[in-house]
Amino acid sequence: MSEDVEVRLTVNGDGYRVRVEPRKTLVDALREDCNLTGTHIGCEHGVCGACTVLVDDRAVRSCLMFAYQAEGTSIRTIEGLADADGTLHPVQAAFREAHGLQCGFCTPGFVMSIVALLDENGAPTPQEVREGLSGNLCRCTGYQTILEAVDIAAATLRATSLEATR
Amino acid sequence: MTAATAPRFVRADGPDKVTGSGRYTADLTLTGMLAAKFRYAEIAHARIIRLDVSAARAMPGVFAVLTADDVPDVRFGPFVQDRTLFARDVVRYEGEVVAAVAAVNATVAQQAVDAIVVEYEPLPPITDLEAALAGDSLLVHEGWAAYGAGDPVVRDRNDASFSSITKGDVDAGFAEADHVVSSRYVADGCHAAPIEPRAVLAQWEGNKVTIWTSTQVPFDARAGVCETLEMPASRVRIIVPHLGGGFGGKCGFHYEAHIAALAKAAKRPVRLVFSRREEFFAPDRRREGMIIDVQTGVRSDGTITARKAWIAIDNGAYTTDAGFFSQLAAMHVSGPYKIPNVHIDSHLVYTNLQPSGSVRAPTAPQACWALESHTDEVAKAVGMDPVAFRKLNAVDTGDIGPSGQTYGEIGVQRCIDEATALVDYGQPLPDDEAIGVAIGWWPSFSVPSGAYLKIDGDGSAQIITGAQECGTGAVMTLRQLAADELGMNAEDFELVYQDTSVAPYDMGATGSQTLFNNGRAVVAAAGQVAEQLRSLAAEFLEAAPADIVLADGHAHVAGSPTSTVSIAELAGIAAGGELLIGHGSGAPPAAPALVGSSCVGDLGMAAFVAPQFSCHAVRVRLDRDTGVVRVMEVGTAHDSGTIINEMGALGQVEGGVMMGIGQALTEGAQYDAEGHQRNTGLLEYKLQTCADSPVIRTTFVQIVTPNAGPRGAKGLAEAPNVATAAAISNAIAKLVGQPVRQLPMTAERVWKAMQS
Amino acid sequence: MTFTIATTLEDALAAMAAGARPVAGGSDLVVAARHGKAALPASIVAIDRLGDLARVTGTDDGVRIGALATHATLMLHPLIVDSYPGLADACALVGSPATRNVGTLGGNVMNSSPAMDTGAPLLALGARVELRTVDSTRVVPLAELWTGPGRNVAATDELCTAILVPAPTAAGGTRSSSAYVRLEYRRAMEIAVVGAGASITLAADGTVESLAIALTAVAPTIISVTGLDAFVGKPLDAAALTAVGEIASEQSSPISDLRAGDSYRRHCVGVMARRAAEAAARRAAGEIIGIPVNRAFGIGAAR
Repeated sequence: MSEDVEVRLTVNGDGYRVRVEPRKTLVDALREDCNLTGTHIGCEHGVCGACTVLVDDRAVRSCLMFAYQAEGTSIRTIEGLADADGTLHPVQAAFREAHGLQCGFCTPGFVMSIVALLDENGAPTPQEVREGLSGNLCRCTGYQTILEAVDIAAATLRATSLEATR
Repeated sequence: MTAATAPRFVRADGPDKVTGSGRYTADLTLTGMLAAKFRYAEIAHARIIRLDVSAARAMPGVFAVLTADDVPDVRFGPFVQDRTLFARDVVRYEGEVVAAVAAVNATVAQQAVDAIVVEYEPLPPITDLEAALAGDSLLVHEGWAAYGAGDPVVRDRNDASFSSITKGDVDAGFAEADHVVSSRYVADGCHAAPIEPRAVLAQWEGNKVTIWTSTQVPFDARAGVCETLEMPASRVRIIVPHLGGGFGGKCGFHYEAHIAALAKAAKRPVRLVFSRREEFFAPDRRREGMIIDVQTGVRSDGTITARKAWIAIDNGAYTTDAGFFSQLAAMHVSGPYKIPNVHIDSHLVYTNLQPSGSVRAPTAPQACWALESHTDEVAKAVGMDPVAFRKLNAVDTGDIGPSGQTYGEIGVQRCIDEATALVDYGQPLPDDEAIGVAIGWWPSFSVPSGAYLKIDGDGSAQIITGAQECGTGAVMTLRQLAADELGMNAEDFELVYQDTSVAPYDMGATGSQTLFNNGRAVVAAAGQVAEQLRSLAAEFLEAAPADIVLADGHAHVAGSPTSTVSIAELAGIAAGGELLIGHGSGAPPAAPALVGSSCVGDLGMAAFVAPQFSCHAVRVRLDRDTGVVRVMEVGTAHDSGTIINEMGALGQVEGGVMMGIGQALTEGAQYDAEGHQRNTGLLEYKLQTCADSPVIRTTFVQIVTPNAGPRGAKGLAEAPNVATAAAISNAIAKLVGQPVRQLPMTAERVWKAMQS
Repeated sequence: MTFTIATTLEDALAAMAAGARPVAGGSDLVVAARHGKAALPASIVAIDRLGDLARVTGTDDGVRIGALATHATLMLHPLIVDSYPGLADACALVGSPATRNVGTLGGNVMNSSPAMDTGAPLLALGARVELRTVDSTRVVPLAELWTGPGRNVAATDELCTAILVPAPTAAGGTRSSSAYVRLEYRRAMEIAVVGAGASITLAADGTVESLAIALTAVAPTIISVTGLDAFVGKPLDAAALTAVGEIASEQSSPISDLRAGDSYRRHCVGVMARRAAEAAARRAAGEIIGIPVNRAFGIGAAR
């Protein structure tokens, strides 16, 4: 076995100093060393998208990345989306409202992908949404209510940013 | 509008699931916890000539290594007792567990697994269903005759469960026919593929064990542990954290006893977390492959005179709950049609492949695909539009079905009208598009179930139920039923569930039965508390209990809304005297009688209690150059009785349709000649993506069926999975000129059909 | 196992000289290790922080694509979309948005899988790779780079630093373009079963001045279709497109595996080659066909 290395991770604004095997993936480090189990593991080969997190605001597969690769970046996970007072992020709120989740296992990955998608493009077309979320598998919903949740969240976020510019 | 029919469905588990604070089994850790890994057979059929675990046991960091010699010698299985926890003498499929290891971490556990020495004498793998049924075939289980089995299970060599339906005189029926159409359809096996790979965590305290596990059926899991480890139910506690989907894949008893036994031997908590490959190839839970030969006689006016079928179902190496599949498949190949003369023979066949087991509407999508593709062929033979042909022959209220059941109020005819209207059936389409239509059915499962309900002194309420939530929202919906009985809001109830030591029995998230049976239990339990509240309020308001109305969180006297007391206040009073506690179960509705038919191997599936009906109409587009098919639009109509939670119900239909599209086009387990599954990852086993999803529109045909569940509700979780592949098949057949007779109807298979 | 994070190209090359294997996005390496296909190398050097290697720069004779440019960058990069749309088509089909954010062109090319999507358009476009060691730099045409599935001619201490794509010839009113199409069973997270990249130059009169086609996943490496000179000087009409498909189909040597049988693959080679050539020709003629072509041609086409 190889020697553990120290990796400094910034997750949801909090600093973590963890000792991990160099081969450890980011998702394992998040779950086992940072105790953030909201990021899920569904396939470990980059297909299901359950492990999607934001690294420097880009959606990435945390199962396809070594933990050390994230050193010095800013990582955002599902646990870091809601406000400190518990107010849900608009994407989270939209999932609840539209019944965009059933078993909930894929939900954190979807929510993070949607946050990244809407960050890049505040008013995506239905086609852009479908393509943009095509890297996240959901077995429960048939995707229909997730697509509705994206519409709701996009509208909320647009209204919020309009408010902010006034 | 009452709380129960409000359009919005706010899940009780929603906040946990959208914030990442909800815990699934793989998220749990315990002090001193070890990691489990299994040594699998990795060969489909072989005799074990040497099994040596001494090197693995001697490795540093290894706490326990178990084989068949280390657990009670028990054969188990719900229909046929043909299974042991660990392989004994012979391995019969590649994912069979030969040994189990608990070690300080997963890496060490895997190294120990690799250090186990197993030598095999390979035996020929039996993978061909027809060959396996031949009288001279090698046996998957040489000792089959000595196995214990349920009484009505009819067995013979590799035929693990035979069933037949006979009604009328099928030869006479064919003699009356103007046309006889014969078809053969072959369906590959496929998978439930929940996004959460399963996990199990076990911990002993004294002689009691607690097992956290991702099961859909905690009480079944408990029964399995009790049977195989020879323990009473009172000392085995199964807790299910949030469950990341199941679709039947997590029904049945799987690995809870292995992990409990490891934890006992290691004297430490032990956790198993499956990889995606393991989730694909190891569990005894795969959607069964099938061969269906079906023959229908029809008069020139379109009336069906007779149907005959022969069905072979791939049981795999061991018999799980698949025991009743032969009868269920026979029902689905008969179909919801008026047929005077029927004879169906159905065989559940042992092979050296992964065992089959209930995956969302077991046998139905394949059997419906075969029957409904065949039905379009029959309609074509008499020159009728396939929708008109179905309207003519499908059962309606008061009709007698293929197994001799007379139906009460049912909505299959209306389903056909509604679904076809949703996609504008008959509209002119481009020449690379077509609409296919299919109908399906599914029984409601009437079984015992229990729940408690209590209101504490502060007025807050809990439903304590044995029901299991696998994502459908059925358990969440129980709150609405309780709230309506008690004049409270759904949000007033916390759910305590998924713990076998806390709540009474329920069959689990299986058979679409939660609302049907546990709903009945919760209504009964809430009714008891309502009685208590009425009598307390009667005393407080100086009125007769019969005049007390519970509404809006208050009790008031009928006709005088100012004479009122809050339920919270009544709860406070009760806390000083007789506590507000209700319990309920209710009597499961009885199965309807069958007249004029006879069934061999009758395991209770020939009579459908409160049957659910559906029609799916699907518009597809075909790339004629490559055979690639894309589903553009789906219209569904479902008769699942009263819809109590429309948002939740739509979620079931849409998810079922999407799963059906996968089964139709891209999802199939592929095996090599040696019985190894070749596509055990999500890149090669292709679930449909968001980019593939069509527009899905649904109409609920709400009819109050006799013997339905609470408020006339029937089940719904499986029904949407029945007819989608069939409808897609019929659309493809219109474009290609003939059906694609293999499922999934991959691009390559469609292309080949176009060449012939 | 040792890990080093290189902050300069020199560090990275030195680490490789000492036996380290480079990792950029990491995807291929992590998956292979997780699934027991290949053990992780004993020594790894992370090159993902070498920002200079992520640049896409127009040059006198084409474009220089830093090895670390991601698929997500390239599929939207104006230089690529305008002049090398076939490469943008391929980048837009790789995996999913999240994998495109991390996956790099250099990693893709050097992984040398015959099923990679970007390889066919690059080969059809006549691309070359720049390979560097501590003390040498050489440029290898893609046609000479790949030697088999997962194998290439690069030495273990050679790092791919850039992919160089020559500019389309623009002499005498000619117009050039390119396209990549692939067979898809579903619309995302696909691995190519069959794919074809085409690069075409049309003369001012609309006839073919040059045509190159490369094929994905139908041979041990990505291969070029030969004998396309026969189309030079003629219009690429329906009959010619059919002939292009037939030639491509004949030259492929696909295997049967769990993704497709050989005869179906061979048939689809023809379809994909024809579609790629047609899309490239239409683009060259001035038609705007969005990225990726798969969403405009055949089954994915919007109406």
